[in-house]
Amino acid sequence: MGETKEPAHVVEHGTSLWKDAWRRLRRNHLAVFGMAMLTLMILLVIVGPWLSPYSYETQDRALGAAAPSASHWFGTDTLGRDLFTRILYGGRISLMVGFAATAVSLTIGVLYGAVAGFARGRADAVMMRVVDILYTMPFTVIVIILTVYMGKSIVLLFMAIGAVEWLTMARIVRGQVVSLREKEFIEAAEVMGLSRRRIILRHLIPNALGPIIVYTTLTIPAVMLLEAFVSFLGMGVQAPMSSWGVLIHDGANTMEEYPWMLIFPSIALSLTLFSLNFLGDGLRDALDPRMAKE
Amino acid sequence: MRTALTILVLAALASTLPACSGGEKSSNTLRVAADTEPAALDPHLVTGFTEHRLLTSMFEGLTTLNQKTLAVEPGAAESWTVSDDGLVYTFKINPKAKWSDGTPLTAKDFVYGWRRHLSLNLASEYSYMLWCIKNAEAYNKGQLTDFDEVGAKALDDATLEVTLAYPAPYFLSMQIHYSWFPVLQSNIEAFGKIDDRNSKWTRAGNMVSNGPFKLVEWNPNQIIRVERNEHYWDAANVKLDAIEFYPMQNLLTEERSFQSGKVHFIETLLATKIETYRKEKPEVLRIEPFIGTYFYRFNTTRPPLDDPRVRRALAMAIDRQSICDSVMYGAASPAVALTPPELAGYTAKARIDFNVEEARRFLAEAGYPNGQGLRPIEILFNDSEDHERIAEAIQDMWKLNLNVEVTTNKQEWKVYLNTMNALGYDVVRSAWIADYLDPMNYMECFVTGGGNNRTGWSSKPYDDLVEQARYCVDPVQRYELLQQAEAILLEEAPIAPIYTYKQKLLVSPEVQGYDINPIGYLNYRSFSLASATP
Repeated sequence: MGETKEPAHVVEHGTSLWKDAWRRLRRNHLAVFGMAMLTLMILLVIVGPWLSPYSYETQDRALGAAAPSASHWFGTDTLGRDLFTRILYGGRISLMVGFAATAVSLTIGVLYGAVAGFARGRADAVMMRVVDILYTMPFTVIVIILTVYMGKSIVLLFMAIGAVEWLTMARIVRGQVVSLREKEFIEAAEVMGLSRRRIILRHLIPNALGPIIVYTTLTIPAVMLLEAFVSFLGMGVQAPMSSWGVLIHDGANTMEEYPWMLIFPSIALSLTLFSLNFLGDGLRDALDPRMAKE
Repeated sequence: MRTALTILVLAALASTLPACSGGEKSSNTLRVAADTEPAALDPHLVTGFTEHRLLTSMFEGLTTLNQKTLAVEPGAAESWTVSDDGLVYTFKINPKAKWSDGTPLTAKDFVYGWRRHLSLNLASEYSYMLWCIKNAEAYNKGQLTDFDEVGAKALDDATLEVTLAYPAPYFLSMQIHYSWFPVLQSNIEAFGKIDDRNSKWTRAGNMVSNGPFKLVEWNPNQIIRVERNEHYWDAANVKLDAIEFYPMQNLLTEERSFQSGKVHFIETLLATKIETYRKEKPEVLRIEPFIGTYFYRFNTTRPPLDDPRVRRALAMAIDRQSICDSVMYGAASPAVALTPPELAGYTAKARIDFNVEEARRFLAEAGYPNGQGLRPIEILFNDSEDHERIAEAIQDMWKLNLNVEVTTNKQEWKVYLNTMNALGYDVVRSAWIADYLDPMNYMECFVTGGGNNRTGWSSKPYDDLVEQARYCVDPVQRYELLQQAEAILLEEAPIAPIYTYKQKLLVSPEVQGYDINPIGYLNYRSFSLASATP
């Protein structure tokens, strides 16, 4: 009630939501650490391979698996390939899969959820039952069938993972849209004769952005884990290219003999996953509208 | 109340008693790692080595080999005579020999088994093993429909007369191979027709066999359990009560199972583990010679691999020494021909050596100077062992030496076999372990349309030479013909030899009577366990 007496404050409050969120995020040390770590990791996998004197595929079979040393910081694998370089290249694949597959799931999930929530009634029921049915399918099996059926291209792997990852996103967005749909500003937009498409894209989705962003940061690590898993099963990226999943798989085979082959890729993957999770947690807290009243 | 409780406790104890004695029994159970889940347990349909291991425990051919000396010893046949021209073998079936259901084993069971294996509709890949029998090839190819004309006759229940098409000096030692095993007619026909590929007769409970052990449990991907066959003629000398085969997903699991004591021995140790065992547990590690060749098959029906110059270029660009020393940690020796060296006194004269200069020249002659215009080649391998590391090493060699792009493809064993048989590959990892000690065993794989050819390759001169060698009586001239055949094979290179195997075993000190021989032959009859002997 107090807000209606001071309309100027409401306007100011609206613009400062993002600032508030940013302020709260900065106060969350773990989230800041996550962001810094992630930035560092992305920079490393982009720039690193150019700086490394080795290529990811050059074999030095006579050298074989050598322990970490000054010339090979992380050691070499059993075919004498520099592990540091392979981790950097593998990181490119893993991060690319993470971001690209998440983008696919984001696009499908947000649009599907928004349309379902906006349509209401029977169309909504049908659309959400479809999601429920897809949910019951063993998710890993779908990915495996898709990769087997569509061949072993990295792009298809992105698509395959993205295509099964959108379900939760669709549910979240639909929930948001269903509650937003009853709000006065949507009624106003309808009265003004805006097209449905414009209402969904310009008014509904931007208002549901908070949960979407948060869920996205949580999807990326999930997708990366899935890629690691699919590669672990031998269905992901193709040799001699590798991803962190493949490197960990190879490392696990020889962990008694050559532990560095397991330790370093695992550290790289864990650090990235931790960072993303910290950042996701931080964003969730920061973007929570109820926290704004503090 | 108290008495009731006591009775309950006693009853519970009593019920555990049989379980206890069962436990003691199982201490005399040999536990073995099987490299993969077998493709089948039908001796006339399988082609793999794991299947050989399993079937040798359940069935027995006319002869067996001595585990140590590999000398031919009586099996289901107690004695035999050979005609002077080496063409007619007369076997006396052991009168004590019986099937696992107690039915006496007769000469007719062998004739029936061979008729089954040679039937056109069964379409067995290994049926050519029997072609040394007179008219067997014609019958197998459907040119002959009356099996009476084939040279295998049961003169009476105890006498089997085999007339060969040509004197095969390896005929007796060949009998250890599953393609020669007998089957019981009533058993086969209770579950389907003689040539039914999908018959359920090999399921546990259905199968009747004549070997030292019989199938009691087959739980796919979990366990295959065979128990002592009390009807076996030499049952008194079978020391084990049972053998349990555990199909393993990969060699890493095998090694871990050995470490944890789940299995008594494993036959293939991952190359990457060799160094560790050399250092830490040399007493269980055994690296022994093995008559087997690891090679790549080329699909000669697919361009550009239909050009022998391309195949030869690829074959010559493989640095075998580097693979043996570095990728295989010394547990292999470079192979320059299909036949392993010193195979029954035969060493191939023709060779494919590592020669980058010449390989480049061949590739240029074929129209792909410096690999230009050549599409990427795919290497297919099954998902186990060190195949992946070897494929990656060869991928690197072909890229580096010939500028040929290579992709790799990994498949599960049964899928891999199907892809290979359907010629759905470019280059496929293969191996051939000698079924019997004669170079013929290798050479006859690659005759036109042979069940184990699997490359689509066909050469009339090669077929003729192998055929002549078959009929050749003079051993020196016979080897000379095989030399010429092998020279053609290596010249046209439908295959690229990579290395000659070495056995890489881990054997628990508990296992006794396990003499390792170069063909990897196992006669489970002679095995015993130290813990089981009183």
